Amino acid sequence: MTPADPTNIRVILATDCGSTTTKAILIELVDGVYRQTHRGEAPTTVEAPFADVTLGVINAVTEVQELAGRRLVSGEGRILRPATATEGCDIYISTSSAGGGLQMMVAGVVREMTAESAKRAALGAGAIVMDVIASNDRRRPHEQIQRIRELRPDIMLISGGVDGGTTTHVVQIAELIAPAKPKPRFGSEYTLPIVYAGNRDAAPLVRNVIKEGFALTVVDNLRPVLERENLGPARDAIHDLFLEHVMAHAPGYDKLMMWTDAPIVPTPAAVGDILQTIASRQGINVVGVDIGGATTDVFSVFDSTFNRTVSANLGMSYSIANVCAEAGMANVLRWVPFDMDERELRNRVKNKMIRPTTIPQTLEALVFEQAVAREALRLAYAQHKEFATTLRGVQQQRTVGDTFSQDASGRTIVDSMKLGLLVASGGVLSHAPRMHQTAMMLVDAFEPEGFTTLAKDSIFMMPHLGVLAQVHPQASLEVFDRDCLIHLGACIAPRGAGKAGRPCFRFSIRTGDREESGEMLYGDLRLVPLGERETAIVIIDPERGFDCGGGPGKRVEREVRGGTVGMILDARGRPLVVPTARDASREMVERWGAALGLYPELAPLLTRHS
Amino acid sequence: MSSSLKGKGSAKRSIAAAVACAALFFPALAAGQAPAPPSGLTARDHSWDNGTRIDLQWTASADEATLRGYVVRRRSTVETNFSVVDIVPAGTNALTVGSLNREAGHLFRVTALGANSLESTPAATTAPVFPTMEWFDGTRVWFLFTLVLLCGSVVAFIVLARRGMPLTLRRIAGLEAVDDAVGRATEMGRPCLFIPGINDMNEIQTIAGLTILSRVAKTAAEYDAKLEVPTSKSLVMTAARETMQTAFLTAGRPEAYNPDSVYYVTDEQFGYVAYVQGLMVREKPAACFYMGSFFAESLILAETGNAIGAIQIAGTAQPAQLPFFVAACDYTLIGEEFFAASAYLSGEPDQLGSLKGQDVGKLLVGAGILLGVLGATAAALTGSAFIESLVNFFTGTMLT
Repeated sequence: MTPADPTNIRVILATDCGSTTTKAILIELVDGVYRQTHRGEAPTTVEAPFADVTLGVINAVTEVQELAGRRLVSGEGRILRPATATEGCDIYISTSSAGGGLQMMVAGVVREMTAESAKRAALGAGAIVMDVIASNDRRRPHEQIQRIRELRPDIMLISGGVDGGTTTHVVQIAELIAPAKPKPRFGSEYTLPIVYAGNRDAAPLVRNVIKEGFALTVVDNLRPVLERENLGPARDAIHDLFLEHVMAHAPGYDKLMMWTDAPIVPTPAAVGDILQTIASRQGINVVGVDIGGATTDVFSVFDSTFNRTVSANLGMSYSIANVCAEAGMANVLRWVPFDMDERELRNRVKNKMIRPTTIPQTLEALVFEQAVAREALRLAYAQHKEFATTLRGVQQQRTVGDTFSQDASGRTIVDSMKLGLLVASGGVLSHAPRMHQTAMMLVDAFEPEGFTTLAKDSIFMMPHLGVLAQVHPQASLEVFDRDCLIHLGACIAPRGAGKAGRPCFRFSIRTGDREESGEMLYGDLRLVPLGERETAIVIIDPERGFDCGGGPGKRVEREVRGGTVGMILDARGRPLVVPTARDASREMVERWGAALGLYPELAPLLTRHS
Repeated sequence: MSSSLKGKGSAKRSIAAAVACAALFFPALAAGQAPAPPSGLTARDHSWDNGTRIDLQWTASADEATLRGYVVRRRSTVETNFSVVDIVPAGTNALTVGSLNREAGHLFRVTALGANSLESTPAATTAPVFPTMEWFDGTRVWFLFTLVLLCGSVVAFIVLARRGMPLTLRRIAGLEAVDDAVGRATEMGRPCLFIPGINDMNEIQTIAGLTILSRVAKTAAEYDAKLEVPTSKSLVMTAARETMQTAFLTAGRPEAYNPDSVYYVTDEQFGYVAYVQGLMVREKPAACFYMGSFFAESLILAETGNAIGAIQIAGTAQPAQLPFFVAACDYTLIGEEFFAASAYLSGEPDQLGSLKGQDVGKLLVGAGILLGVLGATAAALTGSAFIESLVNFFTGTMLT
């Protein structure tokens, strides 16, 4: 696992071992620039009868090898290194979410303070948090012990107390875990790893309580003072334990770990890494979303603070019924521009749930699925906003001027006005027949304000690039910009509400060869063509009460990058209000769809329905 | 009515003066004939009043055209002489006499007053008339209307809240932060300190403070945090103990309640402050709550709490102390917010409905002040008699 000198790296092989599919990509130095050149995939082989993850890896790499015409796998079934002119690669890296990914349970003293920081650390390390145990979670001790016994986490994280703070509560938590003796998912001889990242004064006491049957690792307190989080040591410890304990006991991973030139990283952690790299390099705030069949992951980097949430019951296949139940069918249907029989819809939802791999066969089914996706994304983003907050329990500094505006701690740090880049991935977004549909799903669900760039991850390459960023940041960024992201365009949307048909903002767009200006009325949506490599200087003059980033009614001038869709001028106001009354919403959504050319084939269908 | 009586009183004085002057400077006039008397004088109890008024009515004198006015006199059954009640101008044939004793009967006489200051023979009531008190005073109809509106809105909101209508209250950061403050104390392994002011239980602010203590104590019980409540009045100590015990019981941790955590210090203002300050410096509580009536000690306590790095939440209705609390504390409940805490924290439909109903009342008062000010300003600027009459009606009739 000795990485090559970054200056001599020309060929990079990366794999992502997912639950069902193992994906491999090849990155090569082409004309002095790193580009992703080929990709291949094969079924994951972590489960019986194969029970060896490397078989799937070799199969996927073999496909790449055939496509690239470069020999990558040796006769003994090993990845060939180093690269020569015709064979092998310089470095090989991998991520993994096979077998359900990394599943963790976290504990802290106060649910909204250290327990939440622990949850943030676990999620940031790419884990799925199965439950949070806290002193104030309103469960009796026997209920907490029962819960710990029921769940079979891969790793547990205990936090609690600031340094020099409470020891009693922390020891109480340890005393819940020790007798519960939770069993790990993999391997009967495997001792459950526990990371302790709480009050340092309580560490010896915790050691006394948690002795046999556990592998206790003590790291720096993740909340040394209430005013600051220190999640790094806990995250690193989770990664190490993930490799040492969890991966080492998963079938074939011991072999895979020896092949890779950088530690195997849980897939979501790698996505988080690349988004943080992008946010820091470009100096922007980024939101990324990955909508899957069962869960939806939302990542955000606002003012250098990274947050990740996993909405466990929001997805497009296994969880589709839950999306409909949580959002309500009326909210789903408001995005559909024609009448649909609710009974038929319910059948459609249940079918999708029991046959998760089916894809829409008719235009009506596609429109409905994208309507569900809007609601799933909206709900996931709302959950993310609730989680990504300022730290609670922090002392406030006031002046007499604050008499009537006393802000509380625990405010969300997600500010759609400050959002610079919104990245989409996941089947329903990545594989939408038209890019316009992807862009519109993002705009409708996330309601970006001001100037926001929209992009999608072409082949869910972000995990690969996240790991690559650790070994070769330059290659990672070049591929991210050129091959990973498909720029959809930009959305320009002022914040505020008005009356339909009244002026919302005036715009002036200057590109190299043309100039365009006009006025947008409240409720309107317009698509201005702006190619993928084109940029334009856009001046927005919002009406009084509307804010496009410069303050209410203030002019804003920005350079905007185009994309495959173009520039979306959105005068529908923020927050976006779409009525659930069918007649009202149908007319609105039909008009917006026509403005963006979402479903050109839908016109005859609408005529038929009317 | 009272204003019209006052107006007639001044008219009476003017006419009397005129009569005196006429008699002095024109003795020839005084030597003429007395005018014809009024007739048919009736006296009836004024309806819908508080039993102090009687309505008089008479038929005008035959010499009405030359009269200066009518002189109205009254005596009660316990008096021997008639006294002048009023002198009303000619053309008037009715008068409401006020400020009467309802225990006695009253007799009236009305005489016509000629231009030569001679009075006619009187028209008189024969039987004494007793003013009687009705169950409702008609002059208070606007008061009733306002009362019904305010009480009605309170009742209506309570009914709506009970039926499940969501009543949203503005977010009060200070009350939301109670969990944060107690959580901070828990994480830091330090106690919470609650000061219920330095007044006794007869002070409404102390009672409001104890309502908030209930919430703080419940949270402390849930978080297993230590809460200390030093008091400066023995009655407050007893009430605070009851409050805390109930709160711990509600939280399902009655065994964690320690009555010694609520104790009496001293009645002396600065003795109490010195003790609390010493406690804060020694124990370094991570959360300090000041909820009640405070005076000079507000800044001393809040500054000490700030210096030891505690989250501080204050609540008082003492306007003079609010700036100190705002500057030194993390969160401050200001006046009404402090009193609304009970409804805010409990979320009970009855309390929420009551709060909403009171808001309607405040809205009406605000609207009334605004309309009155605008109307009076408009009347002064334009000189419009109509606007002035509206303002007079508003201030003289609706608001009395």
